[in-house]
Parts: sequence; structure tokens; C-alpha cells
Amino acid sequence: MENKKRGFIWEMKHNGTLYIMCVPALLLLLLFCYLPLGGMYMAFTKFNVVDGIFGSPFVGLQNFGYFFNGNPYAWNAIKNTLIINFWGLILGTALPITLAIFMNEMKNGLFKKVAQSAMFFPYFLSWVVVGAILYGFLTANFRVDRRSGELILTGANGVMNRLLLAFGQTPIRWYAEPKYWKPIVILLDVWKWAGYNSIIYMAAMAGFDGSLYEAATIDGASRWQQIIRLTLPMLKPNVVILVLMSIGRIFFGDMGMIWGLVGQNSTILDEVNVIDTYVYTSMRSMGFGFSTAIGLCQSVMGLIMILIANWAAKKINDGEGLF
Amino acid sequence: MKRNEHDAPHPIRQSKNDRWVKIAAYAFVGLFGLICLYPLLLTVTVSFTPESVIASDGYRLIPREWTLDTYTYIFAHSGARILKSYGVTVLITAAGTLGAMLITCMISYAISLKEMRYRNVIAFICNFTSIFSAGLVPWYVVCVNWYHLRDSIFALIIPAMFSVWNMFLMRTYFSAISPSLYDAAKIDGAGHWTIFFRVALPLSKTALLTVGMMYALSYWNDWWHTLMFISDRNLYPLQYYLYSIVSNVNAISSGRVPSGAAASIRLPAETVKMAVTIITIGPIIFLYPFVQRYFVRGIMTGAVKE
Repeated sequence: MENKKRGFIWEMKHNGTLYIMCVPALLLLLLFCYLPLGGMYMAFTKFNVVDGIFGSPFVGLQNFGYFFNGNPYAWNAIKNTLIINFWGLILGTALPITLAIFMNEMKNGLFKKVAQSAMFFPYFLSWVVVGAILYGFLTANFRVDRRSGELILTGANGVMNRLLLAFGQTPIRWYAEPKYWKPIVILLDVWKWAGYNSIIYMAAMAGFDGSLYEAATIDGASRWQQIIRLTLPMLKPNVVILVLMSIGRIFFGDMGMIWGLVGQNSTILDEVNVIDTYVYTSMRSMGFGFSTAIGLCQSVMGLIMILIANWAAKKINDGEGLF
Repeated sequence: MKRNEHDAPHPIRQSKNDRWVKIAAYAFVGLFGLICLYPLLLTVTVSFTPESVIASDGYRLIPREWTLDTYTYIFAHSGARILKSYGVTVLITAAGTLGAMLITCMISYAISLKEMRYRNVIAFICNFTSIFSAGLVPWYVVCVNWYHLRDSIFALIIPAMFSVWNMFLMRTYFSAISPSLYDAAKIDGAGHWTIFFRVALPLSKTALLTVGMMYALSYWNDWWHTLMFISDRNLYPLQYYLYSIVSNVNAISSGRVPSGAAASIRLPAETVKMAVTIITIGPIIFLYPFVQRYFVRGIMTGAVKE
């Protein structure tokens, strides 16, 4: 009560230490988050390094014009981002929920413990490491003899090609075939995060009222019915939050993922080029002004999406938003 | 007693039904666990397989022969390089984690206190950065032109030194400490610094471990900042060393690289790549059984919204 009447100066005098404790963190945010906001001005300039951010010639909306007047690469990147995120969202929600529910049905024991540890492990790997491991699955060394049409293995073949060979199929040059890479990227993303996300759902399930399940059992409900009628409806608020968070970030691709898995392989990159990787590559090829303009559009779209998602979360979950 | 009567009409069908759910659960979870574990095991065994066996048999979980040759080869040929990269990784992980912990704990302690009047303003300043960001290019230009982070070891430490997510996690832990403990210290004449170092931090050892592990993991796994800022090979951390090997190979196996260039670039042998991968994630594998539960706790705490 009294506190309210006291002003800024009183607060600084009495709690100054607390604000000093915040200074290093706020300084980092200022340096790496807030000052770069000023750098967005580059989107309206023909940027050159010599004149710097605010000295370069102003060109108005020209950079945005390049972007919206049907630059096929930019639109391709937007399309890829949405496709990869959409499927990542669907599978990345369904799989962890299934895992969490099934884990809940299992007895506590060694099997469960080992399975949980295994599922969680991919979270600890960087995309570069995943990329290296993936190589062991996809590497292809073979040629088809021109005359006889015979298949000749010329070196090591990865697990996938060995499987294909075992089933009598022709192996595939995975790293030269773009069409497989959207699914590969989506599945790996889901794979890497499944264990992590299932922990979130299991945490929610640990808080459920056990007496509801007892009552259901007494009423003769099978485990399956309990999952459908009790667990899933009670998980809904958590699912809504996580799904809406993903929708809020639907215009943001994971550059670390794409670059770690595909890297400098330009054959595949077009197929999985997301906005973030496109910005990175166009930074070198199209200039800083243009790539800033794309990033600006992305940030604004991201802001709009997250505000919509937050509004929707409040609507669905009775006033509890995302932030 | 009543329960038995109720169950009576179809007890057999029901228990059979439940058993199928259980079987499905074990099968599904077990299968997915295997899908997560198999790639790792494969990487380990391939790194202990002779190159010739890989070339003839392909990648196999249990090879015909075992060897330590790959590791001997790596340490004979690129031992110095790898040791240097290890040094860089250890340095940025240690320095980064320490600094990040101090910075994060201080701010989250401060805004966990109800008596701090503008704590919500500060929380909003933090939160806003995750809602709206300048994007890659302005960030990059500011880092390079203003802070001169290009080819500097600080580029691998400072930009990642504060995570808003970890701050809110830490704040949740600090909020759980009873204010009466602080009050007792205050009566003894302790200021905020004393309370912070003598009361708050010692009371949150698990939280410190949890959040510390999260920072350490992100520093250990970071290669992205190297991609952005570092061209000096002496500053490559392990992850980037691995990246440079793997991405070269990917580019060549796509067939886009002119044949002359491909011939002049010596492909690191298959087993070498896997061995470098194992060297890179070695400490994670060893520490994983011990640190896993802290991460689980961190995720659970983070998932519970206030």
C-alpha cells in the first residue's frame, strides 16, 4: 500500500542493489537484441560497409519491392518454411502425446527407465552431430554398369541403402536427390524433440487427479476408454499452449537444423531452404539491405502470428495466454 | 465387494482389452527408444570398425572385425588440431557457463522479490526479445561493425551469455524460497548481495545445477556462432571442426562440386567421421546418465506456468 505512493527515487534508494543486479543481463539484451532493432533501418537503404548502417543511401521501399515482385527464391523459402513447420507441428504434437500416454501405461522399471533415457538422448545432440550420424544412414557408393545394367557397389553404403538392397530394391543417392529431403528434415526434427516434448506432457499428466481414474475403473471403463475420455481431454490446455506457440513461430525456420543437416549441399538446399537460411545466403549474394528487408517482414509476420496465438490461447484456455 | 458385482458382466473382455493397450504401449515406446538409440550405437561401433570392412559391408551395428586404428590415425594426423578444438570448446563452455550463471542468477533473484517495484517492467523487457527480434542481418552487422566480434573468441561466449528462458526458469526456483528466510537475514543486517550469495544461492543448489547444465550444453553444442563469426581455424570449437568435415563430404557426394575439385579434396574416411563425432559428444555420453534427471526437472519446471 505504502509502497505505491513512493516514487522512483525512493525505489532506487532502497532497492538500488536489486536494479544493479539486473544491469549485466539488461546490458546484454541491449547489445544483442535492442540495438540491432535500430539496425533494421538497413532494410530501407542500399547498405555498404564503408558508410555503415545510418550513412548508407536511403532507398525507401525498393528492397521490399525486389522481394514482393515475385522473387522465386524468397517465395520458395516461405513455402518451405510453412510446409516443414506445418508437418513438424502435426507430427511433433502427435508423437510426444502418444509417447507420454503410453509411458504412463507402463510399470516403473528398468525397461521404462532405459526407454525414457534413449528417447531423451537426441535432445543432447547438436544438429551437426545429427548430420554426421545421418551420413551413416544415407551415404551411397554405387554405380550401375552401362552395358549390363548391373549394380556395382563401389564403397561404403549407409543403413538405408543396405535395407533397400536387402529388399531387392535399387539403392538411392540420397545426397543428390532433393525430393526426399523435406520428409527427412521433418522426421529428424520430430525425432529430436519427441523425448523432450513428451516430458512436458508427462509432467502435466503427473498432476492429474488420480481419483478420477479410480472412479472410472470402478465404473468399468477400460484403460483405452480412460485414455480417450480422461487423459486426452485433461491434456487439452497443454496441447493448446504448445500448438499455439508453434503457430506463433510458424514463419521461423530452424537454421541450425537445415545448415547442420544439409550445409553446403546446394543440390538439396533449394528443397529445404527456409526463410532463415535464405536470409543467411542472400546476405552474401543479394546484399545486406535486401536480406534485412526479408528478415523485417519475417519479424513482423512473427509478431502478428504470436499476438493472434496469444489471443487464441486466452480465448480457449479461459484467460491464460502464452506470455 | 460392490466393485466385483459391477465388473462381473464382462471381466474377461475388459482385461483382454487392457492387455492390448499395455502391449501396444511397450511395443511403441520400445520401438521409438530403439530408433533413438540405434544411430548412436551405430556411430560408436563404426568408429571401431576397420575402414576396409565398412567399404565392403557398409554400415553395420556389429562389424566383422574391431579395431582402434581410426582413433590412432586421428590422433597421429590431426591430434593437435582436435586438441586445440577441444581446448576452445572447454574454454567457451567453462567461461560462458560461469558468466551466464552469474548474470542469470542475479537478475532472476532480483525480479523474484515482490518488494522490487519495477520487476514486471524488467520481465517485460526480457520477454519482448522473444516476441520480436531484429533478425539475423542487423544482429550480425551490429556484432561485426560495432562490437568487432569477427574472429574473436568473445563471439563464441558473449552473445549467448543470457537466455531469457533460463532466467524465467531460475526465477521460478527463487520464488519458491520462503521470504521469511530472507527476512531473518535482513534482521541480522544483511544487504541484498549477502542474501543473494549466502542465502539464495546455497538454497538453490539443484536449480543452479539444472540451469548450469542447460547453459553448458548449449555452449558445448554451439557451432552456429562459429559459422557466423570465425574464419580462423585456431578458434574452431569441436562442433565446427566436425561440421567442416561433414559438410565438405555432403557437398561432394551431391555431385555438384566439379570433378577436379573433388579429386583434390581428400575425403575423410568414413570411420574417421564417426570417430570425430564420438570424440565431440564423448563427454555428453559419459555425463548423460548423471545429468539427465536435472534436465527433466528443468523442463518440467519450465513447463509449469505460474
